[in-house]
Amino acid sequence: MTDTLNFPDVTQLAVPFFITAILAELGWIVWKGKGGRYETRDAVTSLIMGAGSVASGILLGFLAWGFFMWLWALTPLDLGSSIGVIILCFVLDDLRYYWVHRFGHRVRWVWASHVNHHSSQHYNLTTALRQTWTGTFSLVMLVRAPLVLLGFHPAIILLVGGINLIYQFWIHTEAIDKMPRWFEAVMNTPSHHRVHHGRNARYLDVNYAGVFIIWDKMFGTFVPEQDHDRPDYGLVHNLGTFNPLRVAFHEWLGLIRDATQPGLTLPERLKYAFAPPGYSHDASRDTSAIIKARHLARHPSERDTPGFQ
Amino acid sequence: MPLYLLLVLVIGGISLIAVLLHRLGKSHKAVLNAQSASHAWTRHFPDDEVRGVIVAQDGHAALVETDQGPGLLWSFGADTVGRHLQGYHLTKAPDHLTVIFADFSAPRVTVHLNNDERTLWQQKLAPA
Repeated sequence: MTDTLNFPDVTQLAVPFFITAILAELGWIVWKGKGGRYETRDAVTSLIMGAGSVASGILLGFLAWGFFMWLWALTPLDLGSSIGVIILCFVLDDLRYYWVHRFGHRVRWVWASHVNHHSSQHYNLTTALRQTWTGTFSLVMLVRAPLVLLGFHPAIILLVGGINLIYQFWIHTEAIDKMPRWFEAVMNTPSHHRVHHGRNARYLDVNYAGVFIIWDKMFGTFVPEQDHDRPDYGLVHNLGTFNPLRVAFHEWLGLIRDATQPGLTLPERLKYAFAPPGYSHDASRDTSAIIKARHLARHPSERDTPGFQ
Repeated sequence: MPLYLLLVLVIGGISLIAVLLHRLGKSHKAVLNAQSASHAWTRHFPDDEVRGVIVAQDGHAALVETDQGPGLLWSFGADTVGRHLQGYHLTKAPDHLTVIFADFSAPRVTVHLNNDERTLWQQKLAPA
């Protein structure tokens, strides 16, 4: 069994590319006068969140690595490290990403970690780097366990996960309208991912894909970008702070406050942690399902259109 | 990648992009008028019916009267953020008011006001 397989941390190696691409996108926007928006504090907040995410990975990555190596010692399977195995792992890990990301929007415990990625009202390449600092606490690493048990070495799993994240960087842009039709059909693209970042009722909880958009099409969560309903970026309740600490931890704090308030039953406390975001025991808040229903009540002609089916 | 090189790239990259954005004029705050404030509020709270808007003379904040109660809208970089006026308190200074929300994600808003508008805003913002 292979124990000493090592690959470089591709996300760290990609940092110069990230900086260069951001400068190129900014230059394009300034030159063309279109293709997106930048705002200084928003962009700096996103970049600091990205740096913090890398730091969090360096400081806490050993926990996930230790867990994976523990599983690796348990499994009798070893698929090796051929190119074919790495490609297969990439595809299966992207399926894993789809479900983790879907949980990230439908389970508040995971949303508390993921929310900061959606907290910018802008959509540019810096938004891609607005990543979580608390992914380890959300325990989504558990979803990678089947890949290890199937015989994919943890180093391969982390490698393809890093490549997946790098792929997702370039789709956070308004500078690209649509890719060729065949590409839009199979791959996640700027257009598909703009939809995912939309706070429009139509676009809530859709397009979870990382690399291959086919997962959304398979599992019924795909909504194409509508020319008459351009994505409005941000959260349903947008943040009023650029402070990275508040961005990183606001939802965790809200979750703890909600779940520990006096007078709740145990199921109500658990729902504040694990029900979809927007759950409240007294119906004082709105889940995405309620937001969509209210939107349709105001705009009944949109019933049965994409995102409302 | 060696840690020192990663640190140089990250700190240098963030600094470069921040300075560049500022020099390109990307640090300007949104300026509101009655119509844009009303539109922005409806964007944040689509279920609300806006009944009246008072925009601060510097254009960076607006008091919004809605069927769900009063709200405060303010410039947040190039964008806006709004909150209904519930669970907050107010501090006063000669040239501004500070609204402090019980909200970790929007802790405080400083509204700069001239003498002519200050009294009206203080009345409107006085917690019931």
